[in-house]
Amino acid sequence: MDDTIKLSVINMTKLYSNGDGVKNVDLDVHTGELVTLLGPSGCGKTTILRTIGGFIDLTDGDITIDGKSIIALPPEKRPTSMVFQSYNLWPHMTVHDNLEFGLKLRKIPKEIREQKIAEGLSLVKMNGFEKKYPGQMSGGQQQRIAIARSLILEPEVLLLDEPFSALDAKIRMEMREELRKIQTDLNITVIFVTHDQEEAMMLSDRIVVMSKGHIEQQGTPRQIYDHPVSRFVAGFIGEMNFLDDGNGKQLAVRPEHIQVTKGKDGILTGTVRTVMMLGHYMEMTLDTDKGLVKVYINSDQADQFEKGDQVALNFDHTYSYNKE
Amino acid sequence: MKKPKSNWKTTLFIIGALTPAMLVSLGLVVYPMINQVIRSFKDPKTGAFTFDNYIYLFTNKLSSNAIWYTVVVSVLTVLLSIGIAYLLAMYLRFSNSKISKTIGNLYLIPRFIPSLVAVYAMKTIIADSGLLNRISLHFNENSVFYNYKPGMLYNIKGILFMNCWFNIPFATMIIVAALAGISESVVESAQDVGAGKALIFFKIILPLSYKDVLIAATFVFMSNISSFTTPYLIGPNFPSMLGVYLRKQFGNSKYEIAAATSVVIFVLCSISAIVYLYTNMKEQAWEEN
Repeated sequence: MDDTIKLSVINMTKLYSNGDGVKNVDLDVHTGELVTLLGPSGCGKTTILRTIGGFIDLTDGDITIDGKSIIALPPEKRPTSMVFQSYNLWPHMTVHDNLEFGLKLRKIPKEIREQKIAEGLSLVKMNGFEKKYPGQMSGGQQQRIAIARSLILEPEVLLLDEPFSALDAKIRMEMREELRKIQTDLNITVIFVTHDQEEAMMLSDRIVVMSKGHIEQQGTPRQIYDHPVSRFVAGFIGEMNFLDDGNGKQLAVRPEHIQVTKGKDGILTGTVRTVMMLGHYMEMTLDTDKGLVKVYINSDQADQFEKGDQVALNFDHTYSYNKE
Repeated sequence: MKKPKSNWKTTLFIIGALTPAMLVSLGLVVYPMINQVIRSFKDPKTGAFTFDNYIYLFTNKLSSNAIWYTVVVSVLTVLLSIGIAYLLAMYLRFSNSKISKTIGNLYLIPRFIPSLVAVYAMKTIIADSGLLNRISLHFNENSVFYNYKPGMLYNIKGILFMNCWFNIPFATMIIVAALAGISESVVESAQDVGAGKALIFFKIILPLSYKDVLIAATFVFMSNISSFTTPYLIGPNFPSMLGVYLRKQFGNSKYEIAAATSVVIFVLCSISAIVYLYTNMKEQAWEEN
């Protein structure tokens, strides 16, 4: 990753006929950076991605790559490449032909094509699959090929539209790690769309949190997690307890920032409702007079608490937001 | 999945369940068919075995013309209606405009209109003294539109026009279903790697849908080989189509010639049935799992 700006979305607006869409979005992506657009469905993240790819026309604003506007170009002329959620590959073509199609269109000579196909396959660890058809492979394998197909075209910006969301949890985790590795090894610029905050935290150099068609906050995963600027971001990223503070404000506190002790000596008191073992830590839910509160405690403390115990809560760190 | 063990009880049940259907098709389809085939080889007077009925069919001017005319009309109907249906289906599948949605809701209506009604209705419009002609009479006498006569009745144009009317909705229905099976991202990813519209059609859409197109074509072909209503009402007397010719032979009590005609129709249909079965059964490598 370096400081040069690869892609700029400048004051972009896209409105659909039903009034949905995104408004006045500004976004700079640096060369070699992996930026995640994160938000619930309908927040406009896919709209931004598809507009960059050329599949949607924007209503207003501009998009530039290396300083040049690309909005007048159709998708086939843009220096971007996109990996879709699923059904990416052409089902009637072998893996080899899927990879070759785009290279052929670029009039790349046969030997170089073959060389690139081999490179692409080894990049995603799919050597030996040249003759397979998409229908003969698992979902994860298909997405690997789809990523390889995009990578060998050496796009200026790689666009990924929830590429792993149809895969099962274990494969999804592996794919994230591999994608991150390939991305840093090749120093490619990637925009990744997801609704999964854990995925965004794992993958990104920078997360752009979106809600209802605008950017709520952008920053490194750390910044977003430690300093959520709004009630929405606080609730969307990680676990957060919201407690009414009176006078229209809400106190927010993360489960790991709560100290629990037996007795009544704390800011808040309550009783233990459930204790759940989650590996190296425990999750406890407490009934307090301000509602249910979720707390993480170390496993070694687990024996101290039982369902029905009277406990006191103290907070290490809190946030305050206006009530939504 | 493991195959369930079948014992004599299940076998008996399967035979029992299939028997009524078997009997009905044996009695109403297979028996008359064999009967007709036998009859087509019989001399009408002596009842002896002969090829004369077929020799007559293929040498007599009326009947041999009917055969090739039927084939020509059917092939042209297939080409026209499948071609138009493919374009229409593509439009319905890939356009989101209001017009496309309206057509999508309307295009099947002709399927629900009885053919006899449809042909008579169309006749009132395209006859040389029909609706189009009446409208044209309101133009200025010097205008090229004045007294326009479509000239579409009792010739091949009329039959083809009517056949399109019947077959386009049907073919479109099948092709739309095939195109609906091609997901958006399959098309978009082709666009994404740099393919233009023509290339996407020939390299992606056509290979993924030609099988259903071929199936639609065989259905259209088969139904037109033996069609009767349209050629009878708006087709020419000479050459006539096989359906009309067949009826004439019945009317003249030439049952053996009629039987031979039926066999010819059946053979023509079989060709297309073979194409249908072949396309349906031939699984391509990419469809195997």
